[in-house]
Amino acid sequence: MDLFLQYVANGVVTGSTYVLVAVGLTLIFGILGVVNFAHGEFYMIGGYVGIVAITMLKLPVLAAIAVVLLAAALVGLVAEAILHKPLKSRDATNSIISSFGLAVALQNAALLVMGPQPQRLNLDVSKIPVLSSLPTDFGPVFLPQQRTLIPLTMVILIGVLYAVLKYTWTGRSLRAMAQHATVARLCGVRVQSVAVVTFMVGSALAGIAGMLMSSIFFVYPVVGNMIALKAFTVVILGGMGNVAGAAVAGLLLGITESLTSAYVANSMRDVVGFVFVILVLLFRPQGLFGKAAERS
Amino acid sequence: MKPYLIGLAVALVLAVAPFVLGGYETNVLMMMLFFVILAVGLDLVAGYCGQFSFATGAFYGLGAYTAAIMSRDLGSPIWLNLPAGAVVAGLFGLLLGIPALRLKGHFLAIVTIAFQTIVYLVISQWTSFTGGQVGVSLPNPAPLTAFGVTLVQLGSLRSYYWLTLAVAVICLLLAWRLAHSRLGSEWIAIRDDETLAAAVGIDTTRGKLTAFIASAALAGVAGVLTAHAMRGVTPDDFTIWISATVVAMMVLGGRGTFIGPILGAVFLVLMPEVLGRLAEYKMLIYGSLLVLAITLMPEGVIGRLRRRAAR
Amino acid sequence: MSKIIEAKGITKRFGGVVAVNAVDLSVEKGQIVGLIGPNGSGKSTMVNLVTGELLADEGGLLFNGHDISRMPLYKRARLGMARSFQMLRLFHSLSVEENLVLASHMRMTTSVVDSLFGRAAAREETERARAKARELLAWFDLQEFAERPVTAMSIGQQRMVEIARGLMSEPTLLVLDEPAAGLSPPNVDKLIVLIRRLRDEFGISILLVEHVMRVVRDLCDRVVVLDSGQKIAEGVPDVVVKDPVVVEAYIGSGWKRRAQA
Repeated sequence: MDLFLQYVANGVVTGSTYVLVAVGLTLIFGILGVVNFAHGEFYMIGGYVGIVAITMLKLPVLAAIAVVLLAAALVGLVAEAILHKPLKSRDATNSIISSFGLAVALQNAALLVMGPQPQRLNLDVSKIPVLSSLPTDFGPVFLPQQRTLIPLTMVILIGVLYAVLKYTWTGRSLRAMAQHATVARLCGVRVQSVAVVTFMVGSALAGIAGMLMSSIFFVYPVVGNMIALKAFTVVILGGMGNVAGAAVAGLLLGITESLTSAYVANSMRDVVGFVFVILVLLFRPQGLFGKAAERS
Repeated sequence: MKPYLIGLAVALVLAVAPFVLGGYETNVLMMMLFFVILAVGLDLVAGYCGQFSFATGAFYGLGAYTAAIMSRDLGSPIWLNLPAGAVVAGLFGLLLGIPALRLKGHFLAIVTIAFQTIVYLVISQWTSFTGGQVGVSLPNPAPLTAFGVTLVQLGSLRSYYWLTLAVAVICLLLAWRLAHSRLGSEWIAIRDDETLAAAVGIDTTRGKLTAFIASAALAGVAGVLTAHAMRGVTPDDFTIWISATVVAMMVLGGRGTFIGPILGAVFLVLMPEVLGRLAEYKMLIYGSLLVLAITLMPEGVIGRLRRRAAR
Repeated sequence: MSKIIEAKGITKRFGGVVAVNAVDLSVEKGQIVGLIGPNGSGKSTMVNLVTGELLADEGGLLFNGHDISRMPLYKRARLGMARSFQMLRLFHSLSVEENLVLASHMRMTTSVVDSLFGRAAAREETERARAKARELLAWFDLQEFAERPVTAMSIGQQRMVEIARGLMSEPTLLVLDEPAAGLSPPNVDKLIVLIRRLRDEFGISILLVEHVMRVVRDLCDRVVVLDSGQKIAEGVPDVVVKDPVVVEAYIGSGWKRRAQA
């Protein structure tokens, strides 16, 4: 039983990264209709920028986070110009192909710049004000502060995002776009700037996830592959474009994987999610939490 | 008759090539032929029938592992593995075709990606059957024999190259006939407008499933050829990036044009060889080319040329 | 008279909305029956239920005596139903002739495998389909377009190709969904003559959805009027269009709804 809670906690940590990556992905899909397979590369870039900022440039953690946010948002800006702006009038499969191309290019650029060897971020938690005072034992569960940081950041960022979507003009524009791009444009929403903001926010969230995870897991040029695929699993399970759905599905996937690996077999861990994806797309294409819709 | 004559001429040139070229270059040509089969196979389902698939790598792997495991466990020769690989991959193609009956566009594309990933994960994790990350190694292909008489030695690079060429020619001939048969025009109808296709009495279920099976079976054949050529298989030879590369070949050349994907495969396989020291940037260039192609020329080189000619 | 198609109590819901509510509709052999109604009255849904793009939630559907209520689209086509679309639908990457030939695939007796291996019988059959396509195109005075892409034609010509495509499979029922939409008045006149000839020369029964009243009045033996998914009137065109309930539906429904709200 004690171990069970530990497995759940581990699942929540990984699940939180899935949420951070998937929320951006689901926004980009839901609002812009772009299926972005280069999203895992935003995560990879976040990881590498974090390592460069902290290990090489010796920046303090908060400054490093700012650098990662900025760099990832910049990548998002470029990605929008490649994946959305020129393709927006076309079928979504065009964006899939193009984002595959972008992903391959970014991975190999990373390979040339950073080399193939996996790298890790040494995050000295004792220097981070609030975090260093957090306990590492929660009853039977042991969580080092580097790990606690991840769900914590996730909750704060997703909370902020949710509030922004719900209460601000920008957020309302975003949701209006998701409902109907043409009508939103008629109502005075600047579609192009909404698109850019969506990509920058999505990329920044994935970048932060990459940076935080790089203190626990290794970063390497193709690390984004599996992350992107997992994030897509989450997006589909949660319902495309559904932020709250992605948050719940992300945590669920993290926990399911952790439990599968503990109680079934470690080799089954990654397969579970993808089988779910096919089943959900076949039988509940609106996602686990969406409502069905049929039209004439 | 003209396309057949051109095909024959190209095949003859390729057949005499090993006499002129060295071992390395012959290997490159062989690799090129594998990818030509893959790209044409993908074109059938994605180009002609309009059912986008990112699972070519999975079917390629299923064919290759069928050959490797059959050789390991049954000691079966390549001429038996070839149809077996095609059948196994084709059956899985049928399986992947079922979601295509209900899903369209990017939803289907995502299912094919999930399928590709599942196949990869299973062959890399099921260690007792597939050898896990280490894979399976194969002996030299046994010579083709009939009634105890050796017909063809397959151990040498040249003879194996000729076998590959012969199989590739048969595959392309079949694919060409399929694409230009009644079934092929039904595929095009399904791509253009599925509802209309059904409204004029076309069995769209049969159309889609046959396209998936044909495409997968061709990839399976390429897989068997590759497994025997490489004397082994590992999971990392059949990742989603292989699928993406084949998609790039098809898109660059022109979806649904038949000749386009062939040229795309030739170009993308030979390009790194011509680049010399720049080959380090091969994948970077692939990726960028794919982005550029889909943005500037979504119908591909041949598609663009044909449209020009039609005007 | 024997009924070609007979729908009884057809109901279709989308979520909570009842798009078509317990509608009866039939077309007798050799008749032209009109289906009219204001925008959003459920005409398109009804047509899609008859042709099989949508499946009804309730009600029965007989076609030439076969129960087709659960039958998929392509099988209904094979039983002898053909249609045109409100928004023109043709295979855009194929030539005009190929568009027509595809519609006769279902009538071919040689198998796809014969065609795959280029067997003589299959080639001859395709040749016959081509000849027939050209004959039909000539009937529509469009023979010079046979080898051109469909996109090279005007809207009016594309509509004619749609109808020609319908004739390729020698249907017993032709469903025409707003064939006059987007046509100029002289072309509407031609269309009226043409549809009448389809019935008289080919003996095809026709279900005609139409907005243009002139077409309905000139052609239809009988008219069914839908409003808000319900059948509100049925009868001879000249009588039905004067029916106060129908007039109310066309002109007065806006006022009525506003008054209720």
